[in-house]
Amino acid sequence: MGAQSPFEPMPKGFDLGQAIAEAGRCLLCHEAPCSKGCPALTDPGTFIRKLRLRNVTGAIRTVKHNNILGGACGILCPTARLCEKECCATGIDRPIRIGQIQRFLVEHAKAIGFRAFDPSHFRRPAPRTERIAVVGAGPAGIACAAELAKEGFSVTVFESRARAGGVLRYGVPPFRFGDDFLDSELEDLKDLEVEFRFSKAISNQGEAEKLLGKGFKAVFVGTGLWSAQRLRIGAASTPGVVSSVDFLSALREGKAMSFQKRFKNQPIAVIGGGSVAMDCARAAQRLGARDVYLVYRRSFGQMPAELDERIEALQDGIHFLVLNQPIEYITEAKNGLVGIRLARTRLLEPDASGRRSPREIPESEWTLEAKECIEAIGSQVGSEGSRAWPSLHLRKDRTIEIDDRGQTSAPGIFAGGDIARGPGLVVEAVRDGKTAARAVIDYLEK
Amino acid sequence: MNSSFDLSVEFCGVKFPNPFMLSSSPVSNNAEMIQRAFEAGWGGVAYKTLVTDRIPIIHPSPRMHGYSYEGKHLVGLQNVEQTTDRGLKPNLADIAFLKMRWPKHIVMASIMGFSNPEWADLAKACTDAGADMLELNFSCPHMTVEGSGAKVGQVDHLVRKFTETVRGVTRLPLVAKMTPNISDINEPAIAAKMGGANGLSAINTVSGISEVGLDDWTPRPNVFGKGAPSGYSGPAVKPIGLRCVAQMAQNQKLGLPISGIGGIETWIDALEFMLLGASTVQVTTGIIHYGYRIVEDMIEGLSDYMREKGIKKVADLVGKALPKLHGTEEFDLRRQGIASYDLDRCCGCGQCRIVCQDAGGQAIDWDSKMRRPILDEDKCLSCMICSFVCPVNGLITFKEMPSRWKRRPTITLGTMP
Repeated sequence: MGAQSPFEPMPKGFDLGQAIAEAGRCLLCHEAPCSKGCPALTDPGTFIRKLRLRNVTGAIRTVKHNNILGGACGILCPTARLCEKECCATGIDRPIRIGQIQRFLVEHAKAIGFRAFDPSHFRRPAPRTERIAVVGAGPAGIACAAELAKEGFSVTVFESRARAGGVLRYGVPPFRFGDDFLDSELEDLKDLEVEFRFSKAISNQGEAEKLLGKGFKAVFVGTGLWSAQRLRIGAASTPGVVSSVDFLSALREGKAMSFQKRFKNQPIAVIGGGSVAMDCARAAQRLGARDVYLVYRRSFGQMPAELDERIEALQDGIHFLVLNQPIEYITEAKNGLVGIRLARTRLLEPDASGRRSPREIPESEWTLEAKECIEAIGSQVGSEGSRAWPSLHLRKDRTIEIDDRGQTSAPGIFAGGDIARGPGLVVEAVRDGKTAARAVIDYLEK
Repeated sequence: MNSSFDLSVEFCGVKFPNPFMLSSSPVSNNAEMIQRAFEAGWGGVAYKTLVTDRIPIIHPSPRMHGYSYEGKHLVGLQNVEQTTDRGLKPNLADIAFLKMRWPKHIVMASIMGFSNPEWADLAKACTDAGADMLELNFSCPHMTVEGSGAKVGQVDHLVRKFTETVRGVTRLPLVAKMTPNISDINEPAIAAKMGGANGLSAINTVSGISEVGLDDWTPRPNVFGKGAPSGYSGPAVKPIGLRCVAQMAQNQKLGLPISGIGGIETWIDALEFMLLGASTVQVTTGIIHYGYRIVEDMIEGLSDYMREKGIKKVADLVGKALPKLHGTEEFDLRRQGIASYDLDRCCGCGQCRIVCQDAGGQAIDWDSKMRRPILDEDKCLSCMICSFVCPVNGLITFKEMPSRWKRRPTITLGTMP
């Protein structure tokens, strides 16, 4: 973000001594349960043992070979409900900080100049003649590309944006996940000779499917979900109201300063209770907002955001307005957005999501002063989003139907990540990419 | 600090306010330091070894190397430090100062001569300065001056001769400090006794090489491209210290009081040395790690232990474990036991299973679903390694089996002729 970034760098990770001490706490379990807790099979049981026995480069190799985005996952994974949830050390005191160790190993690799796929020690199998196309350079696409490249395929990744990373870059604020870290993590793809075609959207009618006829033997679609769900409580585009998707993307596209100007000393509202809402609220705070109100229609306990994310937001000074349902944006011709009509809610029986559903309390409406509002209530497939794969079977929400190995309804076309499974974790997208890569290989060998 | 409990103890006829001493080392380098140690609660000091000014002492640089294990610092400490590098005069002045200012605290001057007359000169000088007793350093394993330190301590007739020399010039109690770098520590100890020593202290550091640099291929500490076997100390050497002290304490022909040294950090370490025959104990590496303040915990811990056990005097603890120290040939091999598991507290790590498979009796089956070990008692060797790796304190204990119980023989894969 350069010297003028309004955002502090992401928090520091472990140094070697801290990482070894933390690995020293590991119980080195038989049939390590942490390893079973990782969707992407990064295998913490093995890389922590390697670190413990001072096989540091081996530990790095384990992380990166199992998970090309091991560093990103180490930082962004909700480890408390994945690997660390399974950790046997919890029976003694607290789980091993697996995510921190994993992140450390990736950062340490850079510090000591160790590359997990350096041709001097990583032997790729003999090059395969088949070329594979990957659509989307997000976590799923990158994982799929790396897995195939490791097996000797030549892979081309088509990405509509200027840089790789997908949600890692354009969907997470830089103070949570830095550009430098991401760029260095992606360096490994150079050793794997993955080809990137940036600013090359595959969005025309049937374009993804047509790649099959253009020299590619298989196509993996991992484009993610980039169309924001909207509240529809005002005009189609209310001035001063922005979606989380547009807001977070803008922060990485050099537009942080313009938001800083708009937000400075203003009351800002963020609507939503998920991880993205926390990111948006915390970013708004850093952009100079006078007050950031997080408006959520259920209560603290029902928020989908991870507990540590909610606590960090509270610690940043975000005001949590729980049990409040947005009713209407209040605008003035001259001043744009000036407030949001909210209604208090109370919680009834659990709904389909298992969470208690909110019901508005009659005559409880009040007006929250807000100069800008960020809607962070989820993302979906846009109305034009499946134009590039018209013959694929889709679900009702227009996500791509796949089997458990990532195979779509069309032979040779595979999919994974959010575009196929709906909103999920980075580590789940990595898993999808890896799984689909194995399916691609099986398909080609058939 | 509440030290109402009387921890005083007699060692070689000298009364110590408590058994905790600084050993002769960097921690007892001058009166300013020792004074602060006395204020913190230490009962006595083995003053940093004095030498005559004839041969100047220059310490190698760097002079120490810490040995870490899994992030735990100073499990061991290697040093190439020499005897004092201060002049004799300032040291004697400091000894006199300490005795004037701290009359009840014990100053044992450590000395090392590089020739027979030097031993006499140093002994006389320290006696005149007011030292309460003398410690004869026969044991520094890394002297840069040829034929000194442990080189003397490994040769019985030299130990005897230099002790006799000192005995001839002073009436102070003499304590010979012994090296563990020898097959039988009792041989030089007897020689010291024959020369007139009143007590013994042990162990000096164990000669070792703590680490080797992987990039420079130089053993540590790296003294400008050179390493050397030298004194290794700290918790890692405590078992060697305990063994040496016990061997001397059990020796009927010796019958001398002992000051125990080797990896002592806590009152428990100190007590173990006492139970094996030490009347006082000496500490350096523990202080290098934590500072003089650790003596507060030694005093408080030992006092509470003695109160709880109803023991009135430190002397009543000395040597109390010796009657139970035997040669292995005296074990009762008819009595056998096994490991016993309290699985209610198991956290499911399965390390017991791994080590029993790979280093024990293959006596543990594994319930993958419940993540619990299943012990086949008849195969348990009672090696107890499972209990050493178990992270839950006291979950695995030893249990004696009835005399009719028989351990199943180890399986044989081959065909026996």
